Amino acid sequence: MTEVLFFIEVVVAGLLAGTMYSLVALGFVLIYKASSTFNFAQGAMVFFAVLAFVGFMELGLSFPVSFVVTVLLMVLVGFCTERLVLNPLMNQSEDTLLMATIGLGFVLEGLAQAAWGVEVRRLDLGIGDFPIEWIIDVFGLFVSALDVTAGIVAAVLIIGLALLFKYTRMGLGLRAVADDPGAASSIGIPLKNIMLLVWSAAGVVALVAGMMWGARAGVQFALVDLALKALPVLIIGGFSSIPGAIIGGLIIGATEKVLEVYLGPFFGGAIEGWAPYVLAIFFLLYRPEGLFGEKIIRRV
Amino acid sequence: MTGNSDNILEINSIEVMYDSVISALHDVSLNVPKGKIVALLGGNGAGKSTTLKSISTMLAAERGKVTKGSIVYDGTEVKNQNPYEMVTLGMVQVLEGRRCFGHLTVEENIIAGAYSRKLSKSQIKDELEKIYGYFNRLRDRRKSQAGFTSGGEQQMIAVARAMMAKPKMLLLDEPSMGLAPQLVAEIFNIVKELNEKEGVSILLAEQNTNVALRNADYGYIIETGHVMLHGSADELLNDEKVKELYLGISKEGRKNFRDVLREEETKKLA
Repeated sequence: MTEVLFFIEVVVAGLLAGTMYSLVALGFVLIYKASSTFNFAQGAMVFFAVLAFVGFMELGLSFPVSFVVTVLLMVLVGFCTERLVLNPLMNQSEDTLLMATIGLGFVLEGLAQAAWGVEVRRLDLGIGDFPIEWIIDVFGLFVSALDVTAGIVAAVLIIGLALLFKYTRMGLGLRAVADDPGAASSIGIPLKNIMLLVWSAAGVVALVAGMMWGARAGVQFALVDLALKALPVLIIGGFSSIPGAIIGGLIIGATEKVLEVYLGPFFGGAIEGWAPYVLAIFFLLYRPEGLFGEKIIRRV
Repeated sequence: MTGNSDNILEINSIEVMYDSVISALHDVSLNVPKGKIVALLGGNGAGKSTTLKSISTMLAAERGKVTKGSIVYDGTEVKNQNPYEMVTLGMVQVLEGRRCFGHLTVEENIIAGAYSRKLSKSQIKDELEKIYGYFNRLRDRRKSQAGFTSGGEQQMIAVARAMMAKPKMLLLDEPSMGLAPQLVAEIFNIVKELNEKEGVSILLAEQNTNVALRNADYGYIIETGHVMLHGSADELLNDEKVKELYLGISKEGRKNFRDVLREEETKKLA
């Protein structure tokens, strides 16, 4: 019985940790949908956002005020990105955009560290990384409060975005641009505004993801690399699908924990670092568009 | 601005270059009178699409540029506007190859056309009803994913979507492309109806000379970036050269206007 309970515990912890991957992956999906480019700067945005948030807190602003100010800052970053990077590169190839996002990543990392310094900071959200007692009492499971919070926050954010895309005018515009930017612009959907929306949304998602990660691992430069864990998530879930990002994150979270616990000892441990990439390779071989990636519709 | 106010569009000898080196149009002039249908005819690579894109300013997206001449639409000179500004001025282009949003439903596609108008939900509903009045076939398919509809339906979606922007002028790029003759007729009937009832002026590029001239008021024939001939639709339909070169009632060997002109030239010299 304890064996089974332990397995469930591992899976639940994995799933909840997976929601954090989902959050990061969500940022990638948003930008991929609008500009068909993999935004290498997403990791830097996570780092930039959460460092700014902690920085504002240190300046003595309260939690909600810091949050709002950082959200505004991320919208500003989105605006500048559109003006200074995307607009001049309009009508260039997707590869050019990809390179530009790598450059943007370096700029954001540099700016963040220049403004706030390089030391590792602690971020206290007031939620401990400890098991929740009533869950121990009722189910006999050890589940971290931080994991649960991350799960709930991710769920709210995702549902919110899904509703935004399905039911608002801007959302319709975004989906139109994602399908065919040329046709969208021919009927008067301004690409500029859509890009601004997407980059701002990606910035806010980056902030939330950064706060969750930062609360666990400290606000530090390593967040940039952590964001690359989103790559296997996206390969599994599909680059263009929001549900895909979520489920991909959950799959990666759960499998890496299970593999770590049960197979780790045979490989000398620490396989959660690379196991997701192995999983991703299998997906690339057998289902390259991912679980939920939009298949290209072709009439025959 | 030159010209008379009866024309909604006046193009004065424009030249267009792609990437600053490839010249696509050399000397194209044409007028579209208010409330009329004008056909722009010619083969592949003649410059029809380029002409339309230089009017809607979609040209910039392909690194093309109007290097000489002027385009005046509804009293405004078309220069550095972007497609969004042109749509708000009432000029909408239906791109070649329909270009529907494949993952959106038919109805979402059409609603997307009203994006620039910032309508309320109930206004959108009224507009949709009006549009479905012209495109009955789309009403039945409103919930289908556009990518899975037939070519004819996609062409209708593209036109319906453009009409949702409430254009004063519509640019249609090869609406007949790849469609069966009945469907082509059906689409041209709708276009004609839109022109008559909504008063929208239309400039349409076509390779299907016969259908285009039967539905248009006026026609221009262009080849390799030059206007070779223009006249009222009836004149062109009865023109010997047009009959021979574009309507398939052919003599041996002559392929285009340049050849015809050369032949006449040599005859004169002899």
